[in-house]
Amino acid sequence: MELSRSWRVVGHLALLICCLAVAAPVAVVLATALKSPAEVFQPSLWPSAPTFDNFATLFGKARFADYLWNSAGTTVLRVGGQLVIALLAAWAFARFAFRGRDTVFALVLGAMMIPHLLTMIPVYILMARLGWFDTWAALIVPNLAMPFAVFLLRQHMRAFPRDLLDAAEMDGAGPWRALWKVVVPNLAPALAALTIILFVECWNEYFWPLLVTESEASRTLQMGLREFLESDGYSDFGAMMAGVTLASIPAVALFLILQRRVMDTFVASGLKG
Amino acid sequence: MTDAALASSPAGSSAGARLPLRLRLAGAAPWLYLAPTLAGLGLFVYWPLIHTAILSLSEWNLNPDQPARFVGLENYGRVAASTLFEHAWVNSLIYVGASIPLKVLAPIPLAVFVWSMGSRGHAYRAILFLPTLISFVAVAIAFLWILNPIFGYAKAWLAVVGVRLPALLTDADTAIWTIIAISGWKVIGFNMLLYLAGLASINRDLIEAMRIDGATDGTILRRLILPLLTPTIFFVLVSTVIFTIQQVFTPIDILTEGGPQNSTTNLFHMVYQYTFVTFDVGAGAAGTVMLFALLMAVTAAQILALDKRVEYGS
Repeated sequence: MELSRSWRVVGHLALLICCLAVAAPVAVVLATALKSPAEVFQPSLWPSAPTFDNFATLFGKARFADYLWNSAGTTVLRVGGQLVIALLAAWAFARFAFRGRDTVFALVLGAMMIPHLLTMIPVYILMARLGWFDTWAALIVPNLAMPFAVFLLRQHMRAFPRDLLDAAEMDGAGPWRALWKVVVPNLAPALAALTIILFVECWNEYFWPLLVTESEASRTLQMGLREFLESDGYSDFGAMMAGVTLASIPAVALFLILQRRVMDTFVASGLKG
Repeated sequence: MTDAALASSPAGSSAGARLPLRLRLAGAAPWLYLAPTLAGLGLFVYWPLIHTAILSLSEWNLNPDQPARFVGLENYGRVAASTLFEHAWVNSLIYVGASIPLKVLAPIPLAVFVWSMGSRGHAYRAILFLPTLISFVAVAIAFLWILNPIFGYAKAWLAVVGVRLPALLTDADTAIWTIIAISGWKVIGFNMLLYLAGLASINRDLIEAMRIDGATDGTILRRLILPLLTPTIFFVLVSTVIFTIQQVFTPIDILTEGGPQNSTTNLFHMVYQYTFVTFDVGAGAAGTVMLFALLMAVTAAQILALDKRVEYGS
């Protein structure tokens, strides 16, 4: 829809101001990260002699290599597991008619509306009983069942052309093979969008790792960042901004690669149903 | 749950014999597909809700060697009478209340503007979405630097226009609003994207038809776009209310740790302090149950309000 000229001007102005408000802090972080220690406390937006010394500090003074490994490993395993488990559940809802389906689906949707903060104490106690503190399992297993992913995939599966499925099943493929050979390959855009969402959520997670990682070697990047902030006594802002940059790069990079596809799928899949 | 458990027993044998067994398993099949999700949600979502309620009636310090003692409703009385709870409760209302104009309403016009621009709005969309991708830890640390009262960029930039930057995060009057603003910075772009998803489902032919009938932008917005966007607005409203208290935990923990003088703590941070700082599990669980009740009440009120609107509309 085309707005009138004056509204278009207002729109561009409002959006430009918002974009500036987003971009300014990002620019400050990048500039500070690339400055030499001597220059950090001068508020110029461009370092006179850009250097990666601050990044070297992270790996020299703190164990950022360990943190990166923990974050990457747990994120890949958890997102992979979430996708598989959600595909199976979504397929059950989309492909089969069975007694209690609507009730179970309502329970799954209901879980989407229960924030972690309401369930953390018993899950924490369970982790303690299992002896899972400081392990990847504690970061991965409690979050494997992902109601939002089930919901999103079910929406996309229901929109799947019936003829294709019938043709596949006529060729003798059961529901299991139809899922992996026909449905999944055709869900690529939705799976890409979902992967980004799950990746960002896991990579950026703060509260749960705060509870279940205690030893230095088990920390994720976000925990390492927090730890560095405190152990450093809030003084080396150059290295801290380098850490902020480093922690943000993977999610932003993944997003930039898949940007158009993710945005369009996300917008088109909508929140219907 | 029990169905899923029963259904999982023949799972191991299904690999060997193919066709006849598959027929016999037809009824169990959907439950097998659902089993991992239901097990996960049962063990890590629904059972913990019940377990929390049980813990809220007992006194325990997280030490496995020391048994929990049943104390009835004592924890609730103790938590409700504490000054920490009073602050946490009032602040939670401020966090949620301030989130509605900032995170629920403000993104609506932004989304309409981006939407009206078609593909030319994509650049705005991408930039505004950027904060969604950055972790709250990173965002909080970045603002800690920007707002640094001695060396921060905000101070230097404001000095140019002759404004002196106060120490926003160490002042009990401004700290909570600073955290609210930072969390708004982080969330507005995501909520705008949700509205864009809602707008994308509006049939553009309807707009053209109204336009031909001589309707102005304002009329189209009020009579067509906003009514059709109501379900999305409702979704954003409910999820903002439910998740705001959890979402601001990270900036609270990193920027102020609930202070100064409890001015930024909320019910979630209170529960965290009770349970994991002072190991008073009963009080933490009681706080969780109260928070649960609050969230349910607010959500139910919103659903009732929406039902009225829908009836009114039809």
